[in-house]
Amino acid sequence: MRVTAKAVAIAASVLLVTGCSANANTNANSTESTGATTITAAYSEGGTTLNPTEANDVTSDTFVLAAYDQLVTYATEEVDGKQVANTAEIVPMIASSWEVSDDDTAYTFTLRDDIAFQSGNPLTSADVVGSFQLIADSSSASFLYGMAGISTVTAVDDSTVTITLTAPNHLFLQILPMYSFSIMDTKLIEENGGAEWLATNTAGSGPFVVDSWDPSTEAVLSRNDDYWGDAPALETVNIKFITEASNRVQLLSKGEVQLALEIPAKDVAALEDTDGVVIDSRPSNKILYFAMNNNIAPFDNELVRQAITYAIPYDKLLTDVMQGQASPMTSSVASSTPGFTADGNNAEYDLDKAKDLLTQAGYPDGFTFDFTLGSGFQDWNDDAVLIQAELAKVGVTMNITNMARAQFLEAIATNQVQSYISRWTSFVNDPGYHLGLLLTSTGTSNYANYNNADVDSLWTEASTEPDQEKRNELYGEAQEIINEESPWAYLYEYNIVVGLQEGTEGYTSYPDGIVRYAQLSVN
Amino acid sequence: MSYVIRRLLAMIPALIGVVICIFLLTRILPGDPARTLAGEQADAATVEKLRVDMGLDQPMLSQFFGYLGDLLRGDLGFAWHTGHTVTADLATRLPATAELAIVSILIALIVAIPLGVLSAVYRDRAIDHIGRVISLVGASMPLFWLGLLAIYLFYFMLGWAPAPIGRIETGVNPPTTVTGFYLVDSLLSGDMVAFTSSLKSIIWPALVLSTGSIAMISRMTRSAMLEVLGQDYVRTAVSKGLNPGIVVGKHAFRNASPSVVTVVGLEFGQLLGGAVITETIFSWPGVGSYVTQSIMATDYAPVQAFSLLAAVIFLVVNLLVDLTNAAIDPRVRNA
Repeated sequence: MRVTAKAVAIAASVLLVTGCSANANTNANSTESTGATTITAAYSEGGTTLNPTEANDVTSDTFVLAAYDQLVTYATEEVDGKQVANTAEIVPMIASSWEVSDDDTAYTFTLRDDIAFQSGNPLTSADVVGSFQLIADSSSASFLYGMAGISTVTAVDDSTVTITLTAPNHLFLQILPMYSFSIMDTKLIEENGGAEWLATNTAGSGPFVVDSWDPSTEAVLSRNDDYWGDAPALETVNIKFITEASNRVQLLSKGEVQLALEIPAKDVAALEDTDGVVIDSRPSNKILYFAMNNNIAPFDNELVRQAITYAIPYDKLLTDVMQGQASPMTSSVASSTPGFTADGNNAEYDLDKAKDLLTQAGYPDGFTFDFTLGSGFQDWNDDAVLIQAELAKVGVTMNITNMARAQFLEAIATNQVQSYISRWTSFVNDPGYHLGLLLTSTGTSNYANYNNADVDSLWTEASTEPDQEKRNELYGEAQEIINEESPWAYLYEYNIVVGLQEGTEGYTSYPDGIVRYAQLSVN
Repeated sequence: MSYVIRRLLAMIPALIGVVICIFLLTRILPGDPARTLAGEQADAATVEKLRVDMGLDQPMLSQFFGYLGDLLRGDLGFAWHTGHTVTADLATRLPATAELAIVSILIALIVAIPLGVLSAVYRDRAIDHIGRVISLVGASMPLFWLGLLAIYLFYFMLGWAPAPIGRIETGVNPPTTVTGFYLVDSLLSGDMVAFTSSLKSIIWPALVLSTGSIAMISRMTRSAMLEVLGQDYVRTAVSKGLNPGIVVGKHAFRNASPSVVTVVGLEFGQLLGGAVITETIFSWPGVGSYVTQSIMATDYAPVQAFSLLAAVIFLVVNLLVDLTNAAIDPRVRNA
C-alpha cells in the first residue's frame, strides 16, 4: 500500500509541474495550419533520406527538389492546356548563363551572385565544386556522375565554374537538372561533420525549408521567405505518408488532402465522378516491357520473339488491366521522349500471324518457356496471366514463377532469366540514356542480353554528336533495328495519375513524376 | 522471489535461440538488400559499393558475431531504409504500438469478460448466442479486411471516425512528450484538445485490433466459468442462499480466472502480430508498420530487432501471467 501512495504522489507532482506549463494546443495554433495557402498531400511512402546524392524514391526526391536548387533546370510549356516539362530545353537556375567550348568538352557556367543558402551563407563557385565532389563520392548518384562524363570541376572565380568532360556528351546538360545534382551549402556541411549529416538535414537554397520529417507519419515543408527566385505561393505543405492506396483515395474524395499520388487505375473512374476532385492523368515515359532473353533458346531466334509480339492482347492490357490509365507502347523508347520513332514496329494482336511465324521458326507446335514474375505490382500479375492465356492458344506454354521484388531484381541482374516483365523510367528523358542502359550490349540493365553491333555503333556515334537533329536520326535508326528484332514485346506506357482537389493549380508533369511544390497554388 | 529470478534466468537460453533463428531467417530470405536500396537503374559497381558499406560482403559467420557483439552493447543496428539507427526508430515508434496494444487489450477485457461470464451463466440463452456470433466473427474475419471495412464504413460513409492517418487528427499538435503515450501525455499537460483527438484516433484501430482477442477471451471465460459453475461448492453456495451475484463474481470467477489470465497473456503477445497489419491500414506510426516497410526493403536490422523485441515481450508477458496465477492460486506458488 505504501508503494501505491508513493506512486500517486509522484503522479500528482508530475501533474502539478506539467499542468502549469503551456501545452501544444492552448495558443490557438491547433487550427492555424488550415489556412488557404496550406496544402496537404498523401504519399505512399515516407522517404529514406534528405541527402540529394543518395535519394532515389519519389518522396525523398520531392524533399530534395523542394529544399535545393540545381545549376540549370528543365523548361516548362503548356500542352493542351496543361503544364508539362520540356526536358529537351535546359534553362538557367543557379547558373544565369553558360558557354560551351568549340570541341564541346568544356562548359563554363556563370553563377547568379544574389543567391544565399537557407543558412544565410552566400552560394559561390566553391559550393558548386564541393557539391560535385560529394556527388562523385556518393553511393547512389556517382553512376550519374560517370554517365555525364565529367572530368574536372574548377572554380575560375567566385561566380564562375568550368566543368570539363572526358568527351563530348549531350547527356551532361540533361543530367544537371536532376535532384542528384543539387548544389549544397558545403560550408554548413563541413561545420556539421560531413555528408552523413545530410541524411536528416538540408543544406540548400531552395524554395522550401523541410521543417520536420518523420518517415512514419508526415513531413512539413514551409516556404523559404528569403528565396532568391519567385516566391512560392504555398506557405506550408504537409505531406502525409499513407501506405494503403484505398485510404489515399478516400482522403482525397473527402477533401482531407488536396493532392494524392499513386492512385490505383481502378479508382480513377470513380474519382473523376467525385465532386471537387480533378484527376490529372497523362502519358509518361514510364514503360512496361516483356523481355525475352536473347541468349536463351528459343528466344535467340528473332522469328520466335516476333511471334510472341503478335500474341499479346494489347487492347485488353490497356482497357482491362490498366482501365485506360496507360497508352500503347510502340518502340523501345517512350513516345514522349525526344527522338522517338515507331518505325519497324508492326506488332499487333494477330494469333494467325503469330502461328505463321512460329511455324517459320521451326516451332509449329509451340514450345515451353519460363517466365519470372516480380511481386509488388498488381498489373504485372494481371498482364502475365492474360499473356499466358493468349500464348496457350498458339501452343506456347508459359510457366510463371513468382518472386518477391528484392529477389526478382537480383535474379534478372544475373542475365540468366529467360523472360520477365519490368518497368523502366528514364529520369533523363533522352534516348541515349535510355538505350544506353537497356539495349546496348554493354548496358548495365540489358538483362535480356540484346546484342546488335549496328545498334551499338549508332548509339556510340550519337552520344558524341552535338547536333540534336542528327543525333535523333541516329537514335531513330537504332530504334528501327530494335523494333524489327524485337528483343522485347512492348506492353504499355503508364500514365502518371495525380489526384487533386479543385482549386489546386499549377501542377506540372515531369518525367520523374515528382511534384514541384513551388509551382503549386491554391485558389 | 527466487522463483522470479529462476524464471528470468530461464529466459536467457530462449533468447539466444531466438537471436540465432532470427539472424538465419533474415539471411535465408532471397533478395539482395543492396540492390533494393540502390534501385533498378544503379549499375553493378554502385551496388557493390553499397554492399561493402552495409557489411554484406563479410562472411556470414563474421556478420553474425558482429551482430551479436552489437547486440551485447545495446546497438540494434542501422535501418538503411530510414537512415536512422534502429534504436532511434524504435524509440519513436514503440510508444505508439504499446498504446494501441494496451487500449486494445483493455477494450477486449471490458467486452470479453462480462460477455464470457454472462454466456456461461445464461447458457444457451440469447446472450450466449450473441456472444457466439461475436466470437465467430472476431475469430474468422481477417484483420486487414475488417480494418478496410471499418474505415470505409465509419470514416468514409458515416463520418464518425477521423481520417485514418495516425495518432492524432491533422491540425492538432501532439502533446508534449513525457511517456510517449498520447493519451497519458495530453492528460499530464492538461491538453484536452489533444486528448479527445488522440482518443478518437486510437479507438478505431484499437477496436479492429481487439476483435480477435475478444473472441478468444470471451470463449475461454465462458468455458472456464461453465466448468466451475458445475462444481459442488458452487451448488452449495447457491443452496446456502448466497446472493447469485456474489457466487458468480467471487466464488466462481476467481477460480475460473487462472485460465482467463493465461489466454489474456497469450492474446497480448498476439497483438504485436496483429499490429503489423492494423498499423499499416490505419497509417499508425508504430513498430508494426515499421517492420512491414523493413521487410519490403529487405532491411535486416529492423526486422531482427522487431523479432527480438516480440520474443522478449512474449517471454515477459508469460512470466507475468505465471506470477499473476501464482497470486490468484496458492497451489501454483507452492508447487
